[in-house]
This record gives sequence, structure tokens and C-alpha cells, in this order.
Amino acid sequence: MRSNNMVAYNFTLAMQSFKRAPTLYFLIMLTLSIGVGVLCANLALVNSMASDPIPEKSANLFHINMNTWPDDQPPDEPMHILRYRDAMAIAASDIPKRSAVFYASGVYARDIESTNMKRFDSDVRATTPGFFELTNAPFAYGSAFATSRGMEVVIGDELNQKIFAGKDSVGKTLELDGELLTIVGVLKPWVLRPLFYHVTEGRAFNLTDDIYAPLETAIDLGWSIHARNSSAVDYAGISETRGLDVYYLQAWIELEDVNQRTSMQSFLDNYTQGLKDAGEHPLTIKNEIHNVKEWLKVNKVVDQKVLAFTLASVLFLSVCIFNASSLLLSRFHAAKFEVGLRRAIGASNRHMLMQGLTESVLLGLFTGVVALVLSWLFLKLSVQFLPRLANVAVLEPKLLVLGMLLALVTSIASALYPLYRANRYTISAELK
Amino acid sequence: MLKMNNISRIYQSDTIQTHALRDFSLNVKAGEFVAVTGPSGSGKSTFLNVAGLLDNFDRGQYELDGVSVQGLKDDELSRLRNEKIGFIFQNYNLIPDYSIFDNVDMPLRYRGFSASERKRRVEDALDKVGLASRLKYLPSQLSGGQQQRVAIARALAGEPKILLADEPTGNLDSLMARQVMEILHDLNKGGATIIMVTHDPDQAREVNRNVQVIDGQLADFKIYAPLDRTSENKAKTISDTVSDTLTKEMADA
Repeated sequence: MRSNNMVAYNFTLAMQSFKRAPTLYFLIMLTLSIGVGVLCANLALVNSMASDPIPEKSANLFHINMNTWPDDQPPDEPMHILRYRDAMAIAASDIPKRSAVFYASGVYARDIESTNMKRFDSDVRATTPGFFELTNAPFAYGSAFATSRGMEVVIGDELNQKIFAGKDSVGKTLELDGELLTIVGVLKPWVLRPLFYHVTEGRAFNLTDDIYAPLETAIDLGWSIHARNSSAVDYAGISETRGLDVYYLQAWIELEDVNQRTSMQSFLDNYTQGLKDAGEHPLTIKNEIHNVKEWLKVNKVVDQKVLAFTLASVLFLSVCIFNASSLLLSRFHAAKFEVGLRRAIGASNRHMLMQGLTESVLLGLFTGVVALVLSWLFLKLSVQFLPRLANVAVLEPKLLVLGMLLALVTSIASALYPLYRANRYTISAELK
Repeated sequence: MLKMNNISRIYQSDTIQTHALRDFSLNVKAGEFVAVTGPSGSGKSTFLNVAGLLDNFDRGQYELDGVSVQGLKDDELSRLRNEKIGFIFQNYNLIPDYSIFDNVDMPLRYRGFSASERKRRVEDALDKVGLASRLKYLPSQLSGGQQQRVAIARALAGEPKILLADEPTGNLDSLMARQVMEILHDLNKGGATIIMVTHDPDQAREVNRNVQVIDGQLADFKIYAPLDRTSENKAKTISDTVSDTLTKEMADA
């Protein structure tokens, strides 16, 4: 009861202290808020870049790189893009629990029943059906297509909102570049940050796709490749690529047990050894498999400049703390008489310390709120200058909590030295 | 009540060592009203600071109400100050933006009393100094004498064993000074132990014991003969005018 009374009393004293020197406390709060806000904005970027987009199974998902280039001058070694027959060999393996082979494309889409002729420019993922379970794609309506062939598609929430106002559009028909395909599934809003299944070519922070089409259908319809591709031969269209040395497909596998990684590595090495034995693999065999985190690291998804700027923000925050501390020192010096008086009439150093800390906590809470608003503004400003950060500049709930904690810690840290100074004099000296 | 034996207090700067108190010994019994006089810089305030546990001492023994204060931790010293000592300062030391109630309430907050107990004590203390009706006033709305009476109420609220007054009338005109002194005498008659530092020989003469500090040491006792404060001789110490004014103001309040 006594401690509750003192807590309430200390809060009252803190509010009185703010009222006595509002400008000074506003300056302290602003100083700390700017420091915390800038750091928080940077941490939000780092958090988005460094977070695990599929934590429930990121250790079990593997991207496959191979070096099956047919001559001795490959564009990369090994390459993250595969030719059709290599990708299909992986998909046919019984080692993975499931696999996904896909390439990125794009079409113009419209509802066949619509009287409006407007077509929506849509990103397409031409993929094998395993993609949906492998990536844990969330379905709002319907389900995935069952095979890689068929005039069926799954569409994302954003396109469903644009064309069908978010209603259940399963069974509706879309006209995609002049071809009619039926919608069999609609996804819920789906954010993958980073977009782990396609982090190459600077796409790590793109949105998930608008349309998911069966791989063989997309190839047959000649939907062009909208991502990196390499070819050792000339070809007229993608529909010809199945038997050619055209590299454009990415392959992911999901292993039941991470210990199967060695088996998968052996499978790939044996497969390429077979190619080498047949005289189709002039390079030294080099196949790589990376789990999600490794793959994000290989592709340097976390921008080094952002990391450097975050470090600079930490230093800037330190400067802010020093500034706030010197402002608080002047405030505590001005309140020296009251400190002396309170100690003279029975307050102990512990009481005064608790009073100072209560003031700091309250100041920290105000600072936290302002810092988060500033942080949001900094992120908005960043996107104005660097539009590619649009999907990264997000303040997640954990960042909000972190921002408040940072504000509290910095507020308390800036008060420690002034509190120490305020309590180190004899009471008689403070009362003079 | 207060026993000091061979207390020394030395202030040390880079080049100078100042002996503010040297082998200072004093024994004050419960119920005494002691005036401490002496020239400026003689060590009166240092004595009062050491007695009130506001300052440390370098050598000697000090016992307050049976408690030896040497080696006590900050928490224990604070509790002693809060429970056993009431301070009355020359410049009142009231917090200007606190109401009279809140100023008197301050020491009780650190004692852990309930809100109702604090209210009762604050009202009783203010009643004793004739300011019970001014609870919500700010110090700036009171005269100097009234402010000092608030400070006395603050000192009394915790029901201390001893009152330490550092020139309590130093900032007051003679009329207000008399009012304050009258309150202190009343408190002493009620059993309070009071030690008062003063420059005023008349005030020193009014109390039942007087000590003089010179160069940090006790000099002669009873330099001034105590005045006879019997009812027949009351006019010698308090003029009728002063007495009437005080009575009237107390009644108004």
C-alpha cells in the first residue's frame, strides 16, 4: 500500500516537474524522439529485410543451383536458373516431400463477363502445383490447380479485389492475353517479406504475384519470361524451350527432414554425373542447395547500406542521449533546492532516485509515442526518395514495442548521470 | 535527547582546511529550549546541520534520542530525520507552487501514512499555528510570518522529538517575529525540545538555556540571563499590541 502510494505520488511529482519547465522537457523529449525515431525507422527496414518469411519451415525449404551449362563458358557458376529437363528431373525425384518449379511471366487480365474492356497488367507465376503447399500460400476460396496442365489459374487477393471486388470468384473465367482460363482458387492477402521464392534480380521485396498458372500451360501458351534467363541456343518462343538449353526455371524443394539434404545433394551430383558421362556436362560438377536463410544471405537481401545507416543511427542516438542528459542536468541543478529540502525532511537517496526514475519513465512513454510517429514519417519519407523500399518500410507490432522500449531505456539512460549528480552532495550544500 | 561529544567537522578545499566545529560537545535534555548564538562564521549553522543529520561530521560521537548516528546508512539517517527531527529554516523553504496543505504534507509522504492519517496530521499542525483555514493557499498568498508558521506546521506534522530552528525569525519584521517566537514558546511549554540558532540577544534571553559558539567550540553558557516569562511579567517579553494582533489573527484564521 505504501509503495503504491509512493508510485502515485512520484507520478504526481513528475507531472508537476513537467509543468514547471515545459519547454525544457519538450526539448528533451524531441531530442530523444528524433534519435529513437531514426533508429526505429532503420530497424524497421533491417527487420523487414532480415526477417524469416516462412519461419515454420524455412529450414526445410531449399533452393537449387546447378551448373549444367552445355559449354565451358557459363554466365554464372552454378546458376540459380535451370533448364526445363534439369528442373523436371528434380521435380521427379522422390527425395523431397514436395517441389515447385516455376518462372515469372506477365499477362493482361480481364473478367470475361465484364462489359468493361479494361485489362489489368498482372504478374504471373507459372508453376507446378506443389508451389502452393511448399510456400504455405493461404487460400480464401477454392484450392490449387491439381496438375501443371489445364486452363486453370489461382489469383491473388489484390487482383481479385480489382476485378471481382474481393468476392468469391472461383469458377469465373479470366481472359489472359486472349486465352480463357478458369479461376480455381483465390488467395487471401499474402505478404512474404522478403519474397523468398524469388529474391534474385532485385525482387526480394516485390509483392506476391497476381496470377498463378500451371507451368506447362504457360509454356504452351507462350507466356514470355519476365525474369533472368540465359540460352545457349537460339529459339523462337518459350514453347520451344522444353528440349533446349534455355535456362529460366527456378526450383525449390521441401524436405521432410533436414538430414535429407545430403541425400538431395547426392541425387543432384549423381544426376549431373550422368550428364557428364553422356558428354553433356563439360564443367566441373558443382550443385548447390541453400535453405531459405542461406539463400537470402547468398543474395545479400539485407542491404549493407541500410545496415551502415542503422549503425550511424545508433551513434546519433548516443549523441541525442548526451544532449538530453545535459539538458536534464541543468533541470536537476535548478531543482537542487527541492532535492535538498525533500532529503532534509525525510526522503532518502532511494526515494529521490525512484522519483527521478519515475519522471524518466513517464518522459520515456511520451518520447516513445512521438518517436513512433516520427519513425513512421521517416519511413514514408524514405519511400518518397527510394520507392523500392515501399514494401520494406513497414512498422510491424514488434517494432512498435521495440520503439517504446528504446524510448524508455534512452530516457532512463539520459537521467542516470543527472540523478547521480543530484544525490552526491550533502543536504546542507543542496539547501544553500 | 541530543548528546554530542567532541564533534569535529572539517571542510577541506584544495588549499584550505577549515575547522567548522572542533571538539564540540553539547547535551540537550528533553523539553529544553536552547538558543545557540555566536558571531557569523562561528559554526552555529554547521552545528545545526550536523545535529539535523544534514551534514556529516569527521570525528566524535553523536547520539539522538538514544540512537548513535555514526555508521548509519542513508535510509536509516533519512528515517531518523523524518521521524525524530523537525526543521524550521530561516527562509521557510516552502515549495512555491505547492499549496499550504501539500507543503505540510511533504514529510508525511515519506512516512507511509494513509491519506486520511496525513490529512488529520496536516490539519492538526496547521491548526496549531493558526492557519487551518488556509489549506489551499499558495505560499505567495501568505505573509512572511504566515509562511514561517506553515514551515513550523510542516516541522510539527510528523510529531518529531526535537525541533531545529535556523534563525526562524531572521527574515521577519518584529511583529511577525514575535508571533513565531510565541508559537515556539507554546510548543516548548507543551513539551517540545527546541534548538534555535539566532542572532537576536532578546530571543536568546527568552529561552531557558543559551549556548554560544565561537570558532567552532562552545563558549560560555548563559551569557544572557533568561527572562522571567511568568504571567506577571509577560508584558516584559510580549507587548500587549503584539499579543492582541496574534490572538486576533489566530481567531480570523
